[in-house]
Amino acid sequence: MSKWWLLLAALVLWLAGGYLMLEPRQADAETNTRRLSRPARIVSMAPNLTEILFALELGERIVGVTQDSDYPPAALAKPKVGTFWQPNIEAVIATKPDLVVALAFEQQRDLARRLKRIGYDCLAVEIERIDDLFGAIAAIGKAAEAQDQAQELSNEMKAAIHRLQTATAGLPKVKVLWVVQREPLRVAGRETFVNEMIELAGGENAIGPTLHKYPPIGAEEVIAARPEVIIEPAMLPGALDEQHRQAISYWSRYANLPAVTNGRICVIDGDTVSRLGPRLYLGIEEIAKCLRPELSGE
Amino acid sequence: MPGTLTPRILLIRTGAAAVLLVLVMLFCSLVGPQTISLKAAIAAPATPVAPNPDYEIFVRIRVPRILLAAFVGLALASAGVVFQALLRNPLADPYILGISSGAGLGVILAIIGGLSWTLWGRSPVAVCAFVGALATVWLVWGIGRITGKYHVTGLLLAGVVVNAFLSAMIMFLTSIAKGQQLYATIFWLMGNITEEDFLVLWVGGGCIVAGAIGLFFLSPQLNIISVGYHDARSVGVPVERIEFAAFAIAAFITAVAVSLSGLIGFVGLIIPHAVRLVFGPDHRQLLPLSGLAGAMFLVVADTIARTIVAPAQLPVGVITAILGGPFFLILLIRYSRKVYWLA
Amino acid sequence: MTPAIQTEHVTFGYGRGRPVLRDVSFEVQAGTFLAVVGPNGAGKSTLINILAGLLKPQSGVVLLEGANLRSSRVQDIARRVAVVRQEFIPVFGFSVMETVLMARTLHYGRLGFESKADKELVMQALELTETVEFASRSLDSLSAGERQRVFLARGLAQDSPILLLDEPTSFLDLKHQVRIYDLLKSVQLEKRTTIVAITHDLNLATQYCEETLLLYPRAGRPAESPSCRLGTTRDILTPEEIERAFDVRVFSSIVGDERFLIPLASRARGSNLSGQASQDSPPRQS
Repeated sequence: MSKWWLLLAALVLWLAGGYLMLEPRQADAETNTRRLSRPARIVSMAPNLTEILFALELGERIVGVTQDSDYPPAALAKPKVGTFWQPNIEAVIATKPDLVVALAFEQQRDLARRLKRIGYDCLAVEIERIDDLFGAIAAIGKAAEAQDQAQELSNEMKAAIHRLQTATAGLPKVKVLWVVQREPLRVAGRETFVNEMIELAGGENAIGPTLHKYPPIGAEEVIAARPEVIIEPAMLPGALDEQHRQAISYWSRYANLPAVTNGRICVIDGDTVSRLGPRLYLGIEEIAKCLRPELSGE
Repeated sequence: MPGTLTPRILLIRTGAAAVLLVLVMLFCSLVGPQTISLKAAIAAPATPVAPNPDYEIFVRIRVPRILLAAFVGLALASAGVVFQALLRNPLADPYILGISSGAGLGVILAIIGGLSWTLWGRSPVAVCAFVGALATVWLVWGIGRITGKYHVTGLLLAGVVVNAFLSAMIMFLTSIAKGQQLYATIFWLMGNITEEDFLVLWVGGGCIVAGAIGLFFLSPQLNIISVGYHDARSVGVPVERIEFAAFAIAAFITAVAVSLSGLIGFVGLIIPHAVRLVFGPDHRQLLPLSGLAGAMFLVVADTIARTIVAPAQLPVGVITAILGGPFFLILLIRYSRKVYWLA
Repeated sequence: MTPAIQTEHVTFGYGRGRPVLRDVSFEVQAGTFLAVVGPNGAGKSTLINILAGLLKPQSGVVLLEGANLRSSRVQDIARRVAVVRQEFIPVFGFSVMETVLMARTLHYGRLGFESKADKELVMQALELTETVEFASRSLDSLSAGERQRVFLARGLAQDSPILLLDEPTSFLDLKHQVRIYDLLKSVQLEKRTTIVAITHDLNLATQYCEETLLLYPRAGRPAESPSCRLGTTRDILTPEEIERAFDVRVFSSIVGDERFLIPLASRARGSNLSGQASQDSPPRQS
């Protein structure tokens, strides 16, 4: 008999404890949002976000970046808070941030959630497409009280891109196969920002609409696509020539592709074309050079 | 009375283990990718005006993680003991009857289905994992019962079949998942310990501790049940009722653990064996000691997982496997006289 | 005087087709040592399982000390009857002491521990079966005979008025066979335990068991006749009954009060004995 009373008492205590924990949570949510007027200590959780922050002239306010934030060079000297794939929440907290800027994809969104729960101000921006990028720049500018610089940056970038577009307007689109990985073969599909860059540079994706963003494809699809240019983003920064050689020997097996017969296989430096950031137009320029070497005088 | 368990011995050993657990937890909470000092941490709670990162890290990151690791370790090890006893099989672990694939299927359906509602600020993934785990185990139990009330073989086979089928579905869904969803699923499947809300820890931890205590009260019967069905019946144990209760509680705490931390392997299989090798198979002792040992083990494994390649983090399942294997091997060699099933 | 075991018209079959046990009715008084004999497949183990409450007969009633088995809880059944089966090595390495202690599971206190009374019963059982010397060893380190004694000790420790044994000595050597039967006899006499033992050794049965239950083989039995017959061992274990049940001729010899039965090789194997084996032939005096 006494066992049941004990059990009941334990249950009541447990429920009471849970209820007590529920209460302060709501209070926490209000008092702990430290929205200071001007975030003085900013942490960036992705390399492209770092570039954006520096481009917004917020360099001195940055107190933490990820290890893979390597541009601009000033970023290399900043304290590190883990990597883009593996953010280190403890390091973030140790920098006493006023504002943490992260991307909205799964791993980082989880980080943002955790930080918000603890009470840190965290901005998660979605940057999947080029339009998102401009939206993100605006949002970051607003959060960091740097709206003017944000507007200026956006305008500059849009102007540069527009210049590139007009240069290739009216010219026939070049069919491009963007190869992310050779074995097994994966290419960039139409739902990617890479595709957008290709189109802005005056090309079009040789692959039709696919289910995946970066679908694995077979030899059949390659042949059916008949790409005029094959572009591979560089795996390692210093080894462009080496990769170019390997690429040429690999693609020679598809002897009848226009890209192969015309020798239009390009290896492009990875960062400017894999990060959606302020150097976007540089990436588009690189792609345009690949598509129409004659235009850039190569 | 030579060599049997008495309440006093049990109390002493459990007490010692509990104290050891607390010490281990305290020590591990001070170890991490950032060095923090306990003094600074307890100096003052952080306020917006005067941030105290040591406090923040200690209270909001370290302590919740340690607690979660302890609860999950407790649940998995206790459930492991019970499943090994019920199935009379030293190779049983808490996932053997479909909990893992059921939870995995729930998770991948939640991720692909793009569910966006939140329960107390937590993603629906955890709830779907919990529901998936329990639904599957209920299915396996039902199928197992059809093959005969005391045929553990039937239960095991039902578990294998259901596991295989659900794994196939998981594979299929994985193959059509888009990049991010894939990443999220695999991340969850590998098992991970992160900091949780104290409320979540209170609810989940409360369930697990209650379940472990409940299992302890069934442990005398588990002794004779683990010998044989007929033996247990002859001695007066209502075997079906006890088995059902033990099974239900063990499955429940495993489902809670899995929904909190994903699939962490090895703990439920190895810890019961290790404790049994040292202290013997009496479940009245095996259960509490395994639970505490499991908690300690996972706390240590998690601490290693988050410091050894800092700032990156290994999935804790990698550490449990790497630690668990050789550790068990050493025990096996030392106590090999007690090992019988390798004959 | 309520009989320890009563069965009335018990019929049981595992599936469709002929039932294994048909219309079994018998009574066993308390304190009897009953041998259960019969050919393989006649239903001996089935009968033990029914008496232990593990199998439910399709029809008929089983009463243990007057209580209907069908409506008894598992715990109550265990207070009345203990079962000892063929030894085996359990998966987990319990020691002898721990194994025998498990017999007292029903009587454990609130926290699940045994009382002093339980421990005394266990020590008694260990002493009776001469297993005290390896009380701390695990079961897998014992010989089959020692293990069987441990299982017997577990049955005794349960301290039930009825003890059912399913071939307790099948794989034991001669010494241990006799020792176990001696032990059972002393338990029967000292505690007035009712003992029901399935055995293949007819001579041990004749020497130790006052009553015998003979189960007839299924095949060749008229469909309507009962499966078994209970009576004093002397009446049941006669060469005629044995030949009818086992299809084997036996040579019977009475020494003093005891009858000894020796199975004869069949004629087809070139037996030297010709003609009928004589019943009750006096022993050769030398």
